[in-house]
Amino acid sequence: MRPLQAAAVAAGTLAAAALLVALAGASPLAAARALLDGALASPAALGETFARSTALVLTALGAVVAFRSGVLNIGLEGQLLAGAAAAAAVGPAVGNLPFIGRLAVLLAAALAGAAWVLPAAWLAERRKVPAVLSTILLNLVAAAGVTWLVRGPLRDPAGDYPQSRPLADALVLPPLVPGTRATAAVVVAFALAALAAVVLGRTALGLKLRAAGLSPRAARAAGLDDVGLRTGAFLASGALAGLAGGLEVLAITARLYDPFSAGIGFTGIAAALLGGMAPAGSAVAALLFAALGAGSSALQRDAGVPSALASVVPALAVLGLLLARGRREAP
Amino acid sequence: MNGREGGFALELSGISKAFGPVRALDGAHLALRPGEIHALLGENGAGKSTLVSIAAGLVPPDAGTIRLAGKPMAFRGPRQARRAGIALVPQHDLLVEAATVADNLAFLDPAAPFLESRRARRERVARVASALDLDVGPPDARVGELPVGTRQRLEVAGALLTDPSVLILDEPTAVLSPDETAALFRALRARASTGKTVLLITHRLAEVFAAADRLTLLARGRTLREAAVGETSAEEIGALLLGSAEATERTGAPEREAPPADAPPAGGVAVDGGGGGTGPSPALALRALRPRGSAAPPVDLAVAPGELVVLLSIDGNGADDLAGAAAGVREAEGSIEIGGRKVRPGDPLAYRRAGGAFIPSDRRAEGLLPDLTLAENLLLRRPPGGLLVDRAAMAATAADRLARFGVRATGPDARAGELSGGNQQKLLLARELEPLPRVLTAIHPTRGLDLAASADVRARLLDAAASGAGVLVVTADPEEAQAFGRPIRVVYRGRLSEPLPSGTPFEALGRRMAGLAA
Repeated sequence: MRPLQAAAVAAGTLAAAALLVALAGASPLAAARALLDGALASPAALGETFARSTALVLTALGAVVAFRSGVLNIGLEGQLLAGAAAAAAVGPAVGNLPFIGRLAVLLAAALAGAAWVLPAAWLAERRKVPAVLSTILLNLVAAAGVTWLVRGPLRDPAGDYPQSRPLADALVLPPLVPGTRATAAVVVAFALAALAAVVLGRTALGLKLRAAGLSPRAARAAGLDDVGLRTGAFLASGALAGLAGGLEVLAITARLYDPFSAGIGFTGIAAALLGGMAPAGSAVAALLFAALGAGSSALQRDAGVPSALASVVPALAVLGLLLARGRREAP
Repeated sequence: MNGREGGFALELSGISKAFGPVRALDGAHLALRPGEIHALLGENGAGKSTLVSIAAGLVPPDAGTIRLAGKPMAFRGPRQARRAGIALVPQHDLLVEAATVADNLAFLDPAAPFLESRRARRERVARVASALDLDVGPPDARVGELPVGTRQRLEVAGALLTDPSVLILDEPTAVLSPDETAALFRALRARASTGKTVLLITHRLAEVFAAADRLTLLARGRTLREAAVGETSAEEIGALLLGSAEATERTGAPEREAPPADAPPAGGVAVDGGGGGTGPSPALALRALRPRGSAAPPVDLAVAPGELVVLLSIDGNGADDLAGAAAGVREAEGSIEIGGRKVRPGDPLAYRRAGGAFIPSDRRAEGLLPDLTLAENLLLRRPPGGLLVDRAAMAATAADRLARFGVRATGPDARAGELSGGNQQKLLLARELEPLPRVLTAIHPTRGLDLAASADVRARLLDAAASGAGVLVVTADPEEAQAFGRPIRVVYRGRLSEPLPSGTPFEALGRRMAGLAA
């Protein structure tokens, strides 16, 4: 996307958001101030922004890896839930050995995320079922699965609420800076973003993945295993989303409850779109959306604007982006 | 042109149509008499399909008049044309695959009521099949499971439901076996004898001279010849067709003299016998190979190491499919061996592993990745470097190859989509010929290229053969086939001729391509 176009999309998004704030009966300037305060003004606020960015960065990476290889994986939300469920199932069972326990939890989460992709991958390659459809439907199955798990097999017998047993305190990741919610999970997410950028941009595998995504037919005729590449990227994408769910449990919630995610997987796709389907850009966009989320509670408290308005902004940004791109690509 | 015979069933005169900068039709004329089978001929891009689309109301003309039985018409859409009595059977049927024969026929019937019982739909099938003497398949069969010949009869039956005064068929025989073709022509003749008119688009001269009464030849949007079949000969029409084909195929002006054929030095490494050393096993051996869904007979063909074989055919005769099947990009039945090693049909990766290289006919969609750089395109399979791609080495290797294959570009980091057609083809050659493959399959490797670029591509292919590769080339241009100086095998309806010497006269090749000589 050209800089001018990006600026136009940003300006348009801000203008639309300001209009909505004005319609809600508040001053756009006061709202912006409250938002910035809530997201950036204190160590705690900044920590909240980074803590929220973890799952968004990882699901955005999942979208990038899949989309660039030609798979429209809309099921990141479901794969995240699968990962969180696996983490909550394995976590209480591994006791309180920090290193081994955390490794086991994250491995289980990544594997569960990839496993949640398997039916969609099989349907796509063997039965020509579009991944868009199968992954959307698997989201619903995953959400229902979480509902059942926290009321059934994983229910914490000690609590009154339908939620799973908590992880041992020794397993839960401590804050990097005391008084904040930001943990090592943030570092993991951004490190994986850097790794994804290197793999896609600088390795032979990345070149082949991009080729298969640009034209499966030409890649196949040139001797690349497009089916293998696509399937591998699809599974990796699911593993990233599963890891997002696992880290959410390990760093923030320590257990599974219902509903666990309010559309993190979808906001991740929005971040990937806004980030131009590149790992670095998507990580920045994810951070931006995380700041919006972190600031949204201050928005309600200090400016009297419904916090739900903040979650409208990513949608507005993506719509603006698609509008701009549509204009460019129209004949 | 003056309707002296007491009026035409349908007359289109002075028809012009442009799509953007492309002039598809330029004052074309077509006149059909009642009770005749009329053939519309012309090379790809001559404007045949546009002309019949205008007649059938699918496309409005920019200029010109349409007269149906003498009355001027201006169709606002296909429904109106259909109601007026013009029905078009498209080249690729537009049936609903998931629905049954009975349902499809109901969809095609403008008189079908809004609500109709299954029984009534089944009865329509029986009625139509007996009235038209066309086997359209069992009423409850799903169309997607029917053979192509049956599907086509179904589409024809649908067009005939309204008993149109003019029936237009776009390349109806392309997918039919000889028996099916004969049956179709019998049905069309029966229809013409009742005073109705049939317009047939075809590439096949033999069919024209066997089945049609009159013909119209289009070339580059204009009517080149209108004649009764008895007034002309297959030789005359064949020569006109091939002449116009050359003119359309070679639009780019040659920039320089064609280089001499004593090929430039490429990285020619002789292939050591390869698979097992059991004598000279062929580089490529096809046994009873038959592309899936094709009506053509199974084919046997062997290409020895160092040999270049030219398959010459008019489009739609199965040469492309056969070569695509050999390269694994088309599903097929039968056996493929490369250097004595069996290769699973329909698996392009197995073909590559056995040492096969491939130049597809559509270099933009199947050959290159236009969004990747030249270097990425060239070294896609094995980019240099270890864990990370060595970009410097990649650029250097690519620059070297681009220079040796004469690709003119700003550099190895340019996007492949920015190159001209000739340079894209040279880029493909640079990717496919290094390292030297055991066998190379090239489909229309010079299509759309100017003379100099074509000569260069031919020299590279001959050079690869001289270095020990087996090369299989498909072309539709007899002069091109002759220019290779290697044996030519003409493909007509999927059948291969015996190897013909490259000195075979142009006219003789043209006759064989049209199916006029066995």
